[in-house]
Amino acid sequence: MKIDPSFIWLAFVQLLAVIPTTLMITAVSVTAGFVIGLAAAIVRIYNIPLLSQLASAYVTFIRGTPMLTHLLLIYFSLPVLVDAICAQFGWGFKSSSIPMIGFAFISFSITAGAYMSEVIRSGLLAVSRGQLEAAYSVGMTTPQGLRRIVFPQALAASLPNLSNSVIGMLHGSTLAFTVSVVDINAKAQIVAATNWKFFEAYLAAAAIFWGLTFLIEKLTALLEKRINLYNRGGVA
Amino acid sequence: MIKLTNISKSFGRNQVLKSINLTVEKGQVVVILGPSGSGKTTLLRCVNYLEKPNDGEIMIGDYSLKCKHAAKKDIHALREKSAMVFQQYNLFKHKTALENVMEGLVIVKKLPREEARARSVALLKKVGLAGKLDAYPSQLSGGQQQRVGIARALALEPEVILFDEPTSALDPELVGEVLAVIRKIAKEGITMIVVTHEMSFARDVANHAVFMDGGIIVEEGPPAELFNRPREERTRQFLKRITPELNYHI
Amino acid sequence: MGAPFDFTFVLDFFPKLASTLGVTLFIVAGSLLVGMIVGIVIALPRLYRIPVLSTCSKVYVSFFRGTPILIQLFLFYYGLPEILQLVQLDLSKAHVLVFVILTYGLHTGAFMSEIIRASVTAVDRGQVEAAYALGMKGHQAFILIVAPQALGVAVPVFANTVIALLKDTSLAFTIGVMEMTGKAQTLGSITQHFIEAYIALAVIYLCISITLQKLLQLAELRLLKHELPDSRDDRGSRDSGDTEDNTARKTFRIQKKRIYTRTAGSMRTEKGGAKL
Repeated sequence: MKIDPSFIWLAFVQLLAVIPTTLMITAVSVTAGFVIGLAAAIVRIYNIPLLSQLASAYVTFIRGTPMLTHLLLIYFSLPVLVDAICAQFGWGFKSSSIPMIGFAFISFSITAGAYMSEVIRSGLLAVSRGQLEAAYSVGMTTPQGLRRIVFPQALAASLPNLSNSVIGMLHGSTLAFTVSVVDINAKAQIVAATNWKFFEAYLAAAAIFWGLTFLIEKLTALLEKRINLYNRGGVA
Repeated sequence: MIKLTNISKSFGRNQVLKSINLTVEKGQVVVILGPSGSGKTTLLRCVNYLEKPNDGEIMIGDYSLKCKHAAKKDIHALREKSAMVFQQYNLFKHKTALENVMEGLVIVKKLPREEARARSVALLKKVGLAGKLDAYPSQLSGGQQQRVGIARALALEPEVILFDEPTSALDPELVGEVLAVIRKIAKEGITMIVVTHEMSFARDVANHAVFMDGGIIVEEGPPAELFNRPREERTRQFLKRITPELNYHI
Repeated sequence: MGAPFDFTFVLDFFPKLASTLGVTLFIVAGSLLVGMIVGIVIALPRLYRIPVLSTCSKVYVSFFRGTPILIQLFLFYYGLPEILQLVQLDLSKAHVLVFVILTYGLHTGAFMSEIIRASVTAVDRGQVEAAYALGMKGHQAFILIVAPQALGVAVPVFANTVIALLKDTSLAFTIGVMEMTGKAQTLGSITQHFIEAYIALAVIYLCISITLQKLLQLAELRLLKHELPDSRDDRGSRDSGDTEDNTARKTFRIQKKRIYTRTAGSMRTEKGGAKL
């Protein structure tokens, strides 16, 4: 076996076609994860009985187990649950009509939600209490104060962590191959196996991921510059 | 007029305010003095409902609220009657000086942006910050931040402005500029309640002084009287500690 | 899909899965060892600002943080033998665990180097100056003053890295290592009780994660003894007003700090980050 540099390029071009799949999985899991994470974070900050314990258990479980086990558990148990529920209510829906990528979406969203809830929570706690008090003192209601004063500052504070979560989910999306979704990783495997040139194919895949990661960080840096304008004065 | 009746507040088993009664006439400048832990800051925060009193009644202007059965709507209505100037300034960190002052006008008072802007610019000019309209809090000194905080409170045109130790987080050389601004607005007849440790300021500006200790009002009266001829032993002790130069009066 | 759910299988699978726990932990320990060494080697050029080498370090860290570990695993598993063949080194007979530990070690090394760098720079410059003022030499100041403090800062983040590593070992089955996840898959397909197998698997991972976390927390408490909050500093604070809200503020701040360290850690365990 000899390393074939020209094949790296060939594989690279073939892999470009499946970038949208990877990005789609990342985008869906990050978006849904943000919503789940926000809910879990707020429930925990306000210490709502029962719900807050549930949220803590969820976060602990997800963060304490590999993302792969979440995917496998969802992949095997969701159809059973769906079919049982549909049979119970007499719906015509069959679990076999869930597309493979749907399992990736659901499972990765659950994973992302747990990580994001920690990120959001620390962002919210980073905003000092005085900010909300000041909002009250000018006559705002709690929702107004949260929306106009606390959330923007929390977002700015957690931007670097959010960006890391996005990158984590981008890298985690490589697990989708276990449920036969053809993302960059799976495509690399296919390209590699058909040509028996594994190293070259994975080198191309690594290059693409490296590039995407770089891009996310550049975008974050840009966003941070705009959003964090108010911190440019130094310490005060 | 502001009237506090039987205000009580406990944190856990620790009763911080023990049935406080206080009346402030319109246009009066009231200073509240007292050692740390006397409950003076808590009392002030109760007026703005940043702390929930356990019991009592708060009346500001024509609006009165029984604290035991306060609904969210009532609290909100009461809060609009007062504005607070915080010890730690608490300017909205992600907004410029101008936006800080405009925020309440636009969001709460629903003023048109242009009008809110004009009013805010005028107020910032008044506190001597005409050149800092677009500066973020992090770019301002403590004294400048506190002056923005005062402008923000003034903008709401409340019945009363509450000052919670407005100068104690400041470097000594910045205290003067903030006190000068407070003096200026005091002369305009705005009702103010000020918690402070600045004795000379309290004597010059206030028309009424209140001394608190251990969650009760120990003594109150005209500042000249309270400072020069305190009736209570506790007041005397406190004044002696805090203003040694007054010794010969006692 | 598979046989109907039967909880007894979950219990049945525990001991069977636990028998492969050794492999999983072996990968974790081996990778940590390699990662530690690699991390120090990679961090040094950047700490001492050695021109060309520090750029190499940056690129190294960027690559390992900027690409998925799964891709790295395949890359080394398939690529390393080919590259080493060019220098007449035959790796085709090497045990598959060698590749796993090597990949994970190099991967962890990138994170370790960042941890080392961040925690050393986190130590106040004044500490070194004070050490010099006492007449210590450079290496003495580092070993006696900087290193112990840096260690305290590093532990929570290190804990997260270890747990991330544990979770990443679940990928090793993709190149045919019979560790816990691989074993669970095998058990699942033999009995057709997949769900039970993966529940048992998740529970075991969770237990190890929690145990590791508790152990490392203990270590942290010991190392950070000098920074534990003390009631005295409350009284010393500026008479900012009434004590009752001081206590409230204080509890709030402590809580905030704890959460901060935890997420500051998770920040790096997320595999993300190509930042140079």
